[in-house]
Amino acid sequence: MIQYFKTMTKIFTNFNWKVQALGDHAIQFYLPEKMDSAMISEIKCFHDFIFSQQLKEIKDIIPSYHTITLIYDIELMHEPIEFANDLIEKYKSQREIDLPNKEVNKIIEVPVCYDENFGIDLINMSTKLNLSINEIIKIHTENIYQVYCLGFMPGFAYMGDVNIKIQTARHAQPRKNVSAGSVGIAGAQTGIYPMHSPGGWQIIGRTPFKIFDKDPAILSKFKMGDQIKFYSITRAEFESLNENEL
Amino acid sequence: MDTLQDKGRYGFQHIGIPPCGYLDYLSAQLANVIVGNPKEAPIFELHFPASSFIFNEAHTICISGANFVPVLNDKSIVLNTPIQVSKNDILHFMQPLLGKTSYLSIKGKIDSIAWLNSKSDFSSQLKTNDQFNIIARDGESKINSDKTEEQESKQCNINDIQKHIFNSNEIRFIPGPQWNDLTNESISNILKQPFNTSLNSNRMGYTLKGPSLELIEEKSYLSSAVTRGTMQLLPNGELIVLMANHQTIGGYANIGQIILVDLPKLVQHKSDTPFRFSIINAETAQSEYKQMQKCFS
Repeated sequence: MIQYFKTMTKIFTNFNWKVQALGDHAIQFYLPEKMDSAMISEIKCFHDFIFSQQLKEIKDIIPSYHTITLIYDIELMHEPIEFANDLIEKYKSQREIDLPNKEVNKIIEVPVCYDENFGIDLINMSTKLNLSINEIIKIHTENIYQVYCLGFMPGFAYMGDVNIKIQTARHAQPRKNVSAGSVGIAGAQTGIYPMHSPGGWQIIGRTPFKIFDKDPAILSKFKMGDQIKFYSITRAEFESLNENEL
Repeated sequence: MDTLQDKGRYGFQHIGIPPCGYLDYLSAQLANVIVGNPKEAPIFELHFPASSFIFNEAHTICISGANFVPVLNDKSIVLNTPIQVSKNDILHFMQPLLGKTSYLSIKGKIDSIAWLNSKSDFSSQLKTNDQFNIIARDGESKINSDKTEEQESKQCNINDIQKHIFNSNEIRFIPGPQWNDLTNESISNILKQPFNTSLNSNRMGYTLKGPSLELIEEKSYLSSAVTRGTMQLLPNGELIVLMANHQTIGGYANIGQIILVDLPKLVQHKSDTPFRFSIINAETAQSEYKQMQKCFS
């Protein structure tokens, strides 16, 4: 057990958090700029730590690929950089005694109907990638994806990494309307449109799940650090499960 | 586009929910305080051509921010002053004389549904025949309660705030993480050339017109959080300044943030008047913000 703690400590201290000010009402913690799924659990862990501190100065804690940004109240905050460095120190000392977060290993299974009427870019992608539609579906449902961050619109989760065999760049000209529940690919990322909106991602299917619910007790289906696995369902199964407005 | 706004919705940006809230928070706070409401009370935010309002009972109202030439039953009324309205009075806005965003406060609580601790809505706007009940609020107007010294000191503050927002063509910012990725020529252009707001401006962001700017090398950045006032450089060389309804994260070069106390200046800046950028440090920006907030306490 002691051996185990030592190993964990060693892994965590490898992350060297740095701080920069972002204007007059935000500070940003950052790691080296790379899309690395190994960094996600560390970012989630630091995010959860800051959240648990219930700091009155902080209005928002926004994690992303390699950063955590704090939006603060100018009237309550004194010495933001010092404040941020203290947080890192406190986190590091606490991190060394904590067990890794069990939640990180939870996998959320998400049904997707890859019907061509929903996956409106499947036929074009199949030609371009020189793969059958079934092969694209098989590859998309094989990986376990991690949520790197949320943004673009409420509940939109940027997930990765998509197998290089089916990576496709987003459309040069975004569509005016993409339906709620649409599952898309943009390069190494995959994601689901929570509501009807304009969008440029390559659409390969649709989930019947409601991804964002205005009910304050529900809100976003996904959060940063979640693990997602897609599975294929038929059109009939989609119709019986559908929670979105058509 | 006219909406109901308050100070915005914080604590949910990590799941992609934009903060929203009033664009020119100084004018909104001013209109609230003048009628005796808390400074962060919900308020009507108006853009020209603005909605007209019919009052179903007597109220105390105040209009601050942009001057759209407000007219009550065909008689013009002044800004930044409590106005008594009676049953069946009609308020119209005639022309966009000064500024871009106007605020209408009504003494009392505007009865509307809050979502996640805020009444700011990023999708719905005021529609014809919308009705709002005003719930009476305890407490007197700070301005009417004491007609001598306090009124004078408030008046002085009102003028200071007005001058700060409308009489300055200098907008100050703090360089951001990608400032040093700009070419020297671009840096010099930002600091020396005039910029204008464009008609392509809304509650999400203001696109600026000015010298074309470029990065030393074409680069893509991993998305990270942005905030109100963030200056993003778009791939076409244009600058966009993010406003209340901004996306929570962004992947364009973040070259700086306009300081919070100067953001109302940009909000109110019409496209025909050029302005200039200058650099300021965070400490000065924060102390000016706090100083300005003292006017409302």
